[in-house]
Order: sequence, then C-alpha cells, then structure tokens
Amino acid sequence: MSESAEHTPVISVRNLWKVFGPKAENVPENSALKGLSAAEVRESTGCTAAVRDVSFDVNKGEVFVVMGLSGSGKSTLVRCLTRLIEPTAGTLEFDGDDVRGMDTESLRTLRRHRASMVFQNFGLLPHRTVLDNVAYGLEIQGVGKAERRERAGEMVDKVGLEGLGHRRPAQLSGGQQQRVGLARALAVDPEVLLFDEPFSALDPLIRRDMQEEVVRLHNEEGRTMVFITHDLSEALRLGDRIALMRDGEIVQLGSPEEIVANPADDYVRDFVRDVPREQVISVRRAMRPADAGEAEDGVALTPDTLVSDAIEAVARSGKPARVMKDGKLLGVIDHDRLLSVVARLGEDDATGAAADEGKVAAV
Amino acid sequence: MNSKRIRNTAIAGVGVLGALALTAGCGAAETQSSGTDKVVLAEPSWVGASANAAVVSKLMADEMDVKVDVQQMDEPVAFDALDSGKADAILEDWHGVPKKQKKYVEDKKTVVSGGDLGVVGHIGWFVPKYYADKHPDVTDYKNLNKYYKDFKTSESGELGHFMGAAPSYSQHDKGLIKNFGLKFKHIPSGTEAAQLKEMQRLYKAKKPFLAYWWEPQWMNNDIEMVEVKLPKYTPGCEVPEEKAKCGYETNQLEKFLNKDFSKNGGPAAEFLKNFKWSTEDQNEVAQMIAGDKMKPEKAAEKWIKENKSTWEKWIPEDA
Amino acid sequence: MSTATTPTLDKEPAGGAQGPAPDPDRRSADTAQDGLAARLAANPKWLVIGFAALVVLVSAVVTGDGAWPGGWTADIRTPLEDLDNWLVDNRDSHWLFLYFLLHISNAAESGVDAIVSLFDSLGWVGVTVIGTLIAWAAGGADRSRRAVRTGVTALAVFAVCGILEMWAPTMETLALMVVAVIIAALLGLLLGLASGLSDRFEKLLRPVFDTMQVMPAFAYLLPLLLIFGVGIPSALIATVIYAAPPMARLTSLGLRGADPVALEAARSLGASPWQRLYTAKLPLARKQMMLGLNQTIMMCLSMVVLASLIGGGGLGDEIYQALGKLDIGTALTAGVAVVLVAVLLDRTTSAAGERLDASQTATEPAGMAKVRAAVWGGIVVLLAVFAAVGSAVWESEWPESWTVSWGQPVNDAVNWFTDHLGSGIPVVGGTVTWAEGFTEFILNPLRSGLLATPWWALLLLVAVVGWFVGTWRAALAGCVGLALIGAMGLWDRSMDTLSQVLGALVLTVIVGLIIGIVSARVERAERMLRPVLDTMQTMPQFVYLIPVIALVGLGRTAGIIAAVIYAAPAVIRITTQALRGVDPAAMEASKSLGATGKQQLFQVQLPLARKALLVGVNQGVVLVLSMVVIAGLIGGGALGYDVVQGLSKGNLAQGLPSGIAIVCLGIMLDRISQPAVRSRKGS
Repeated sequence: MSESAEHTPVISVRNLWKVFGPKAENVPENSALKGLSAAEVRESTGCTAAVRDVSFDVNKGEVFVVMGLSGSGKSTLVRCLTRLIEPTAGTLEFDGDDVRGMDTESLRTLRRHRASMVFQNFGLLPHRTVLDNVAYGLEIQGVGKAERRERAGEMVDKVGLEGLGHRRPAQLSGGQQQRVGLARALAVDPEVLLFDEPFSALDPLIRRDMQEEVVRLHNEEGRTMVFITHDLSEALRLGDRIALMRDGEIVQLGSPEEIVANPADDYVRDFVRDVPREQVISVRRAMRPADAGEAEDGVALTPDTLVSDAIEAVARSGKPARVMKDGKLLGVIDHDRLLSVVARLGEDDATGAAADEGKVAAV
Repeated sequence: MNSKRIRNTAIAGVGVLGALALTAGCGAAETQSSGTDKVVLAEPSWVGASANAAVVSKLMADEMDVKVDVQQMDEPVAFDALDSGKADAILEDWHGVPKKQKKYVEDKKTVVSGGDLGVVGHIGWFVPKYYADKHPDVTDYKNLNKYYKDFKTSESGELGHFMGAAPSYSQHDKGLIKNFGLKFKHIPSGTEAAQLKEMQRLYKAKKPFLAYWWEPQWMNNDIEMVEVKLPKYTPGCEVPEEKAKCGYETNQLEKFLNKDFSKNGGPAAEFLKNFKWSTEDQNEVAQMIAGDKMKPEKAAEKWIKENKSTWEKWIPEDA
Repeated sequence: MSTATTPTLDKEPAGGAQGPAPDPDRRSADTAQDGLAARLAANPKWLVIGFAALVVLVSAVVTGDGAWPGGWTADIRTPLEDLDNWLVDNRDSHWLFLYFLLHISNAAESGVDAIVSLFDSLGWVGVTVIGTLIAWAAGGADRSRRAVRTGVTALAVFAVCGILEMWAPTMETLALMVVAVIIAALLGLLLGLASGLSDRFEKLLRPVFDTMQVMPAFAYLLPLLLIFGVGIPSALIATVIYAAPPMARLTSLGLRGADPVALEAARSLGASPWQRLYTAKLPLARKQMMLGLNQTIMMCLSMVVLASLIGGGGLGDEIYQALGKLDIGTALTAGVAVVLVAVLLDRTTSAAGERLDASQTATEPAGMAKVRAAVWGGIVVLLAVFAAVGSAVWESEWPESWTVSWGQPVNDAVNWFTDHLGSGIPVVGGTVTWAEGFTEFILNPLRSGLLATPWWALLLLVAVVGWFVGTWRAALAGCVGLALIGAMGLWDRSMDTLSQVLGALVLTVIVGLIIGIVSARVERAERMLRPVLDTMQTMPQFVYLIPVIALVGLGRTAGIIAAVIYAAPAVIRITTQALRGVDPAAMEASKSLGATGKQQLFQVQLPLARKALLVGVNQGVVLVLSMVVIAGLIGGGALGYDVVQGLSKGNLAQGLPSGIAIVCLGIMLDRISQPAVRSRKGS
C-alpha cells in the first residue's frame, strides 16, 4: 500500500453505487439498508443494487482483476468506469480527473483516447473487414483513412492476424474475432484497457492462448488493465491484484496469493477451495522459523518461490530448504510445511501467518 | 438518461419534419391547365363509352394530330374532373348525377354542355325473352308479384331476386320495389362486369331473372331481353328515391366539356362538339370491341374506314 | 368422475384387446364428454367463454332482435356531406389546397410523367437493356450465378410482357411504381428512423402501423379521391400510404434489434450519436431494411393495380377494362404481367439483399467494389445515351409483329371450364348448386343469427374472447370497435358483412390447414404448391372475380370464394412453416416412442405449432376482411358495396362511414384473434 501512496492511481473509485430501479438515487443514502443482502434490498425498495459501495484503486501498469460469479455486478462495475452505465453515487477519478463531473465532450474524449474496452461477445461490425473494424476507433476520432489503415494494419499484425485484414468477422473463428476486438482496443493506444470477460465465450484451449497473449502484451507494453472474469484460474494467472465481488460488494481485495492463502470469509474460501494452492502460495507464507542448525544447510530459495517449485527442490535434496532474501535467512521450509499447504492442513497456520502479513508485506 | 431521450426525440422530430418538407414546396401551386395538343377524355366504364373514345381518339390523332389521353372514370368522378380541369370532356353522360351536374353547370359554371351524342339511352327492367314468351303478362310491373316465386334464389330468400345495377349507375329501383309493394329483393351488382357475367350465365341456363338493363348495350347482340313496363317518366318523378313511382327517362345522351377547354380548345374542342353518331354506329363498334374482343383502336380503325361520310363533317374546317 | 375415467383413457389401446370388447363408440363418446367437462372445470377460461356463448345463444333466441338502440346513434352523414360540399367548393381556392395539397398533387403528376416520358424516349430496347443491367448489377455485377440469374430473369420478364402485348400498360405501371417506391421507401425510412431512435415516436407510430395493417386499402381511397380527385396523384398517394409502413416497421425493428454489443463497443470508443447511427446502427439494420424495401415494393405493386379504380392507369386499368367486356383472357394476361413485374422486382431486391449478406461471409476480390461502381456509372451513362437517341433509333413500344395474342384461347378455356363445373356433374351437382346450399344453410342462418343477437350479448362475447386470447386491451379495442359501428348506425350492415367474413374465415382456415398439413408432410406437394401460391398471392384479386361468378353465380358466396382464394395461400404457408418448424428433437423423441404419422401430427406437431397457427388464423382474418370489401364488386353487398358505391359516386357520406365500419370490424377481429405474445411485445 505504501507504493500507491507515492503515485496517484490511474483509476480511483470511492463508494461507488449503481442501483437499478425506481427512485434508485435514494438507496445509497439509506443507511438502514446497509447490512441487508441484495434480495432483502430488492424486497424493501424494489431496486436492484448491482454495485454497492465499492472502493478501490488501479495502479499504473498493473493488471487489476475483478472476479465474481454472474450477477455479482462486475460487468456493471467496469461499465461504470467510463460511464457506459451511469453510476448512481460515489466518486470516480481517472488520473485525478473527476469522471462523474465530465460533460459529454470530455467524456467522449476519455472514451476515445484514454480507456478502451474489449467485450465478451466481441461487438464487431459484421459489414466491415477486419482492418476496418480495427480502424473503427480511429475513424471515430476522425483520423484520416490512410493513417488509420496503416495503424490498424500494425495492430492486426501485433495480435497475430497477419494476412487476415481483408476478411469479414463472420469468416473468423471465435478466438480470431476476439483478437480483432483486442486490436481494435489497442489501436487507439489507450492508457487503460478494460476487459469484460473477454475470453469466456471461447474454447478452453483458445482461452489459454488468448490469456498468454494478454500476458505478453502486458509484459511488452506495461499497459494498465482492468480485467473482468468469472474464471478463478484466469484471475490468478493474470491478476496482479484481484477484487472478489459478491452481490455488488467487494468481498476481498488482494494479491492472488493472499486470496488463496487467506480467504476473507467462507464464501471466498469456498471459491478458492479447488485451486492448486502449491501453484499460488509462495514459500514466504509456508515457511517456519529456522531451528538451530538449519541456518547453514539446505537449498536456498527466494521468498517468492512457489510452493510447487519448493517441493521439487526439497524432494531432490531430501532436506528442508532455506528461504533467503538478500543473504538473510527468513525461515525454513520442510516436508511437513509443504504437505500442509498442499493438503490444506495449514489453514489455521495460514491464518496465523496472516498475522505476520504486515511484516511480510513491508519487506 | 433523460437528456438522451429528448435528443432522440428531437432527432426523430427533425426527420419527420424533413419528410413533410420533402412533400411540400413553398408558394401557391397552379391548378393544371390543359393545352390543345393533348386532350383528356373521361371514359365511363361501359363498352359504349369505349367505342366513343376509341373512334374519337383515332380520328383526332390521325386527322388533326391531337393526342388524346383516355382516362377511365365513372360519371360522378368525371364531373369532378371536368370541374377541376383534370379532364377536358366526357362524351356520354346518362344524366346519372343530377346534383353534380346542377352544381357545376348551373352554379359554378365550370362545365358546359357539348351537345347531344346522338345515341339514345334507355334504362328499364328487363326479363329474358324465353321467359316472357312463356308468361307474356310478366311484361307489366303490376303482374310481377304473380311470378315472384320463379325468381327466388338463395340470396333473395323468400322474395324474388331483382338484379340491381352497378353502384355508379343512375337507378331508383329500390324505391320502386318498395313503393309498388313488389315481393322482390333488390340485390345490387358490384360492377357492370359482374352483372353481365351473371346474366350471361343465367341466360345460358335458361333461368328466369329480372334485371336493371339498358340500351345501347353490346350484349344485346348476344341475348334477347324484353322490357317490363314501368309507369311513364315525368321530370322529377324519381326524386327522392323513397317516393319514386316511375320508370326511367329515355335519354338523349349528352357530352360535357370543361369550360376553359370549350372556350380555348380550338379545333379539338370544336371536333368534340361536332361529334355525333347513332345508336347503331356505336353498337357496331361496341360489338367489335366486346363481342369480337377486338382492340378498341382496331375496331375504331375498321369503323372509320367504312363510314367516312359520317365522320367527315365532324372535322372542323380550320384543322 | 374425471379422475376415474382418465386412467381408462390411457389404458384403452391395451385393454381393448383383452377384456370383453366394450362398445367402442359409446366409450369414446363418454370419455370425450368427460374430458370436455373435466377440461371446462379445470380451466375457468373455457367456462367463461362457454358462458358468454350461452348468453349469446339464449338472448338471441329470447329477444330475436339485435338492433343497436336507435337513440345511441350519431348522425354523421350531415357533417360528412357538409365536408364533401366544402371540399368541392374550396378545392381551387382554399389556401390548404393552393399552398400544400396542390403542390403534392402536381409534384406527383410531374414525377410520374417524367418517368413515363423517360421510358418513352428510351424505347423498348433501352428499357429492356437498362432494366436487365440494373438487375444484373443488383445481383452483384459479376459472373456469379446470382447476378446472371437476376439479369436473365429481368430480360425474360421484359420480353414476355412485350410478347403478351402488355408493353405499354406495363411501362405505365412501372413508372408509377418507380415514383411510388422511391417516396414510400423514403417516407418509411424516415418514419422508421424516428420510431427506431425515439421511444416516444415508437409509442406514437406503433398503433398507427398496427391499424394500417388491418385497414383494407379500399377504405382510404375515398378520402384521397375527394381531396386529390381522380388520377395519378390519388393513386400515388394511396400507394405510398399503403406501402410505407413495412419499410418503417422493419427499419425500426432493425435499428432496435441491432447487436447491442456492437453498439456498446461503438459507444465505448467514444462515438457520438450521429456516428453511432451512421457507422453502426444503420449498417447493422441493413438486412432488415432490405427486407422492408422488398415488402414495400410488393405492397406498392398490389396497390398500384388496385389504384386503377381511382385513375392509376397501367396494368390495373387494363384488367378492369377487360373485365368490363367479360374478356377474362386479356384480364388474365394483364394479371400475368403483374405477376411477372412482381417476380422481377422481388428477385432483384432479394438478390441485392443476398449480396449484402454474402459480402459479410465471403472475401471478394479487391477490385470488385470499383468494378461495381463502374457498372453503375455505365448504367447511368447508357441511360442518358438511350434517352437522347433511343426514340430515334427504335420504337418506343414493343414491336407489334413480335406479339402473341392468347386472350381468346384463354377465354374459351375458362368458359369451358366454368360452364362444366358450374352446371355440374350428375349426382354431386355443380358448383352453382353447392354455392346455393352454402348460402342457404350456412350464410343465411349465420346472418340472421347475428342479427338476432342483442348487441350487448355480442359485446360481451367479444370482450370475453378478446380478454382470453389477448389482453384486456384487446378486449377493449374490440368492444370500442363494435360500439363505434353501432353508433354510426351501421350495425345491421356490419353484421351482414361479419357473417360473410366469418363464413369465409372458417373456409379459409379449413382449406389452409388441410393443404398446409399435406404440404408440410409431403415434400413434393410443397414443391409443387410453392409457385402456385406465389402466383396466387401476387395475382391481382379482381382477375378471378368474374370467373368466380361463372362458377357460383352473383352473390355473397362468390365474394366468399374470392376471399378464400385470396387468403388461403398465406394460411397454407404459415401452417406449413409452423409444422415444419416444430422442434425436431420433439419429433424424433415421439418417433423413437413408436408414434404413427397421425399420432405425431396430432400429439406433437399441431400442439407445438399452436402459437404459429394462431398467427396464421390472424393473418387469415386480415386478408379475408380486405377481400370481403372487394367482394362488394361482385354482389357481396353490405359494407363492401357501400364503399364501392361511395367510391364510384364520390360520395363521402356514404363511403366513409362504411369504410370506418370495416376498419372497426378489422380491428375487432384482429385483436381477438391475436395471441397475447404479439400484443405484449414491444418492451
């Protein structure tokens, strides 16, 4: 958190509400509704609160994942960011600019130049060629034909659709179509890319490919991304931080490891139950203090090493491994600790470890 | 949200206004005036009228180089067209629309008479000859009730079936049936064609029928009809229909012209005023058209070839 | 009782073989009765409808007189006559005419004149060449099958129209069509844009379009006649009014149905409303709009033919005049020309639509767009050249020596056919006898029944049926319609018309269902029927009015037969589609359970297709009604005759109330036969 204090976040959301229904504007202010569930709110007001009092920051260069089941309000939330859906209450800043206070013109500028979106069902225009679809955003900005064609061509190549520029969307596979959607969003060179469940309509194998594509793009360009998904493994794979939503509220916000290792409540615990923990949790969280004599011996691992890798190292050496950072011994990890991660025995311990969290995070 | 709706409404409103603007110009429009190089004839929907129009068109085109545009319209509509100048002349009016005739000819003075056509029109009630031969006394309307059972059909139920005229024709049969206490039901024909076909069918089957019928009529060459006598016509005896107690006027069929055309129409108008032929002449052409299914131009051409003496005097000298 | 018998019903097939055979007739009658009673008890809907029907029957028998109370009628004749007089007096002096209506009238006239003289100066060669080229270009302007087929069709249509001696009237009709289609499409587009973009306009326009759909075209010929007089302007405006709604409807539908994700994508990229409309909404709605254009063109054609009654000229006039001479051959020839023009226009527009479709799924050679632009440019140049020199090089009309006259043989054939069918075959009798029976035993009792039913009982029945089939809105609309009829003093005549409509409707539904079922089950029957149905739907109605008289005599039955001929194709088509459209999984499942063809039909197909079949009935109602008016031309009498009379006498006071009464009947029948889904749609 100390990092974020130094830079202004790209997107800053505070107490954001989106309520659908009659007299929606009264719902956020009504403190009597505070503790109620979504169904109870609907019962008493006739309104549906799709987003309830949500606050978070998105930092520059990070991939911020919003995850939740369908109906949890995540798609509404991402649309609120550029006011494709008008928020009911709260504040919303983009690079320090008040988005909710923008007039039509500046809002349009925001959408044209600063944030662009990739949609679940692609949203391509069937009557245009791939190239013209990619160039669509530039066309709306008023960029000349030759220039936008050229830039669109680059983008088409960049997302791996070389030579398909003159096809129509209907002639492409689902994965290829979403590449067009991605290229269209990239073509306007936005500060932030918003993804609304972009890969959930795709086959698993293709989904994998596309996720790697996003990782690659992120590594190459370091663009800030907000990524909506209902797929936990996708969230864990891509996210620097994950906000887990339920019934319009953020239940937990943290790194993938924090969420898996340290679920905030039963709902989250349920959610992450089937996650292969050894592939998410690092040894920092699994280690124990070193006993005497262990300090000199054993394989040295960094604190970020995943448990799965540690298992390999420990198994090979047959001895506990040391967790080292900057030549300092932080702790030791042995068979028992590793097994307890895999077998989920250490939930209580993990909770205990969470007590150390402040210390760990500060390192 | 709301502002968006207002904007959409505004856009849509502009669209609709645009549509209206497309259709309306500015300034007053001229009513159409007809030149003399093109004459518009109103042709009522019976074959005799086709014969008139065919012969007139052919003669004017060949002898006077005037193009004739024939438009099909029945008398009531034709009078409106004569009034507005959309049509220049009607060649055969049966005096079927006295109200309009009075209004335009006498009150507004936009339509003028073009003289008699020469053809005599007669309307009446008729039965087929084969039936009249069997029951000679049916030819008086007073005896119709004696035979009404012969004329029963599924349409007329318990009463006899009276085959009424097409709607645009001058008629007051409904009133007559009521006022004479006849046990007949007036069942109108929707069109002349429908009536002709029905009569043709019944005639072929030698069935009895009682119908509104008239001369000149080309089908009289194919079928033989006998008139049922009605009380004699005196002017005004048929209006209003509820009180009508007489038959039909024997009509000198008349031509009517648009007034401007009549005044400024030059030789064309002159020709139309001169045009006058006999019932036999007309029937000859009508039979060629309807009976022999010749094209009207062909029929007219044939008649013109054979009757030069008749039509020569219609052509004005300065044409 | 019902619980006791229901199981037996299920077991019957098995039980019948074992035990002492019970009297099968009695048994099934019993169960049927129980089933009915049980169903009634279980379903209060049927109970109420049954009750309403009972009220109608009892009250009809008791009172025996259904006349609308005289005190509740309003005198509308006098104001209408006043209006009529005012129109006649002010037609050439009032500002409304001078500054507005006359402009429209003159513009219409000169527009059509311009096209006519263009065709004239193009000459027959020019028209044929350019028409063929346009069709080819619309099909894609290449050597693909579609383009070539469309071009060849056009060429053939022009040639056949010429050969059949119908060149001149065809050109007149085409000229009127060109102007009418352009205006109707533009107007429809603008209205469609308005109602597609603004909910308020949608709310405003939807009921108007709904009403116009049930409004027989005949009904508004009369007011137009009075305002614009006889001639091209009236015909043109009637056509435009009649034909614009489909374009508007489908444009609006297309705009509203455009892929929401694509629209959101456009919005997320910062598109302004105008950009969204221009780059996304309109292109996405293009397919629907093409369909709308196609429908608009077809409706224009049918109206242009009908408009010959008010001076439209062209092929319709040809038909009308030929009928006046009982020349069925010529009328039929002109009718064939109409069908051919319909084929030409339909194929050309649908080829253009298909090309748009295909361009989304196929890659075209890069230069094709340029080639196409060049072809269109070439057509324009050619048009100019032909217009300049065409009349000097060749005749303006199709050469007379290249014509064939088949009017007389057709006449003879039709006469032979009608004579033999009409007078009849021994034992079974002829069509004339049947028609008399139909009039006597069905139409007459139906009419006297309706006339004997008290008005309030009928209102009750309409309300109840409307409520259950549709919504309370439907019930209300139906009742208001009926009450309006009563208030205009046209109750008796409307009941006469209603009896004819009901008679025709029952026949139409029976014929439509039977043929529809056959063609849904027998592939070959459908293939053979399709061109016949196409022809029947485009052939101008009044072509077969006269032969019908020869078959069944002048009267209401003739009108009803004509209505059945006119309406049945649509019902057949919808039935076929509905049965074919039944979920194949359900069919497969029933087949795997060993159902016979008959069981499949009655237990699976018909029940599953019920909704669609109701749509068919509804369509039948609308079509039958519009034809019953035309039947006024051949002795149908009642309201239809009044409208015809008002029209031919130019008498507003007589024609208009009857026209309104027909519209009221139409709305009433439409609403109470409209499944609720359709009326609730719209959110």
